[in-house]
Amino acid sequence: MKLSYRIRLLMVVSGIVVLSGGGLLLKKSLLPDSFGVYGPYRADAIVEAALVPIRHGTNAPCFSCHPYEANIHKNGRHHSISCEFCHGTYADHVDENGKKFGTLPVKKGKEITTLCLRCHNTEIKARSEEVIKTVAMPDHLKKQVVKLTHVCNQCHHVHAPLKYIIRAKQITGLMEAGS
Amino acid sequence: MNRRTFVKHVLNGTIAGSLYLVRPMGAASLEIPEQIPGIRGKAYDILNQNFVFIVDITRCIGCGSCCVADKREYNVPDGNYRTWVERYVKGFSDQIYVDCPHGGLDGYQAPRTDIEERVRDTFFVPKLCNMCKEAPCVQVCPVGATFRTPDGFILVDEKRCVGCAYCIQACPYSARFLNPVTKVAEKCTWCYHRIRKGLLPACVQVCPTGARKFGSMKDEKAEVYDILKGPGVLTVLKKEMGTFPALYYKGARREVI
Repeated sequence: MKLSYRIRLLMVVSGIVVLSGGGLLLKKSLLPDSFGVYGPYRADAIVEAALVPIRHGTNAPCFSCHPYEANIHKNGRHHSISCEFCHGTYADHVDENGKKFGTLPVKKGKEITTLCLRCHNTEIKARSEEVIKTVAMPDHLKKQVVKLTHVCNQCHHVHAPLKYIIRAKQITGLMEAGS
Repeated sequence: MNRRTFVKHVLNGTIAGSLYLVRPMGAASLEIPEQIPGIRGKAYDILNQNFVFIVDITRCIGCGSCCVADKREYNVPDGNYRTWVERYVKGFSDQIYVDCPHGGLDGYQAPRTDIEERVRDTFFVPKLCNMCKEAPCVQVCPVGATFRTPDGFILVDEKRCVGCAYCIQACPYSARFLNPVTKVAEKCTWCYHRIRKGLLPACVQVCPTGARKFGSMKDEKAEVYDILKGPGVLTVLKKEMGTFPALYYKGARREVI
């Protein structure tokens, strides 16, 4: 069978159209939406990354429900410490509607000493006096003439470490003046 | 306007629109006072941002708060670290001893006892993603799952990542790991989700001494702006690699790598 020139031309042109169109459609079906908006990646991934819910609140929501602790914490030397470091994350405590659903553990006894010494141990030499006050552990207890079994929070309020110390000094100062 | 720019504009519009619609989802986080000014209450201009992270080594006390916060914020599987704190000990013979037990997650409770010589200097070096301008991890990704956003963050698209781990080998800072649960590459994002809500990264938020600083260079009142503008010596890690990190170190000794 001999085809005319026109029919052959039509077949070639339609072949090109079908193949290229199909190729374009195939490419479109394989590429994810929003690919290539800013570069060779899915731009929607940026939006997804931005929408991940947070787990750490700041100190502000803690303070709004715990005003007593907040007052001590804000006025003490430990004001720069995040509540969540010692107590756990906001997301484990309060749900999206602002309702409490979980109780955060409170550190007790020796745990507190361990926690304090994470920052305040003199033995780790990288802690400059400008940044933090450090103590060497049995030495500090001996120097203050207390039992070696004492834990830190028997003298220091954990939220404001000098609260009781200053108060005690005020009281003893008054007594000395009065007697 | 040609077709390409038209399509770009339309898509930008849809992205901005979709952001606007879903914003109330994070309503609880919006009640928290803003920490990075200039992000909330207006459309986020993704093409015109410049964020900087500064680690002040002279203030780091190695408490590991940042590591704990990071693990909690992302539920990072045990044995992997998005951020970690290394301890450098320098002896009088100029020998350097570096250790990092549990990535600093338990803090540093005791000094090193295995060093024979007298110790000259001890310091902590917090490490995290350097957010390179010329990121090796982005260059090697075969599927476009790792990319640098127009606002300067290197992120991982976990839906596209095939877990080939090329990027993990490519990263000169060892900031990446393969998540054993999801089997995709994961790394520090400087808490991109928090920044877009106007909050500081979790590690910066919990740092008790202000050793980690974060801010926008577009904000002239920001602490990082003052530091970068001032005369203080700032260094980046592995400068010779030509990665141009956006993470600066203040007070880093030359031994820090």
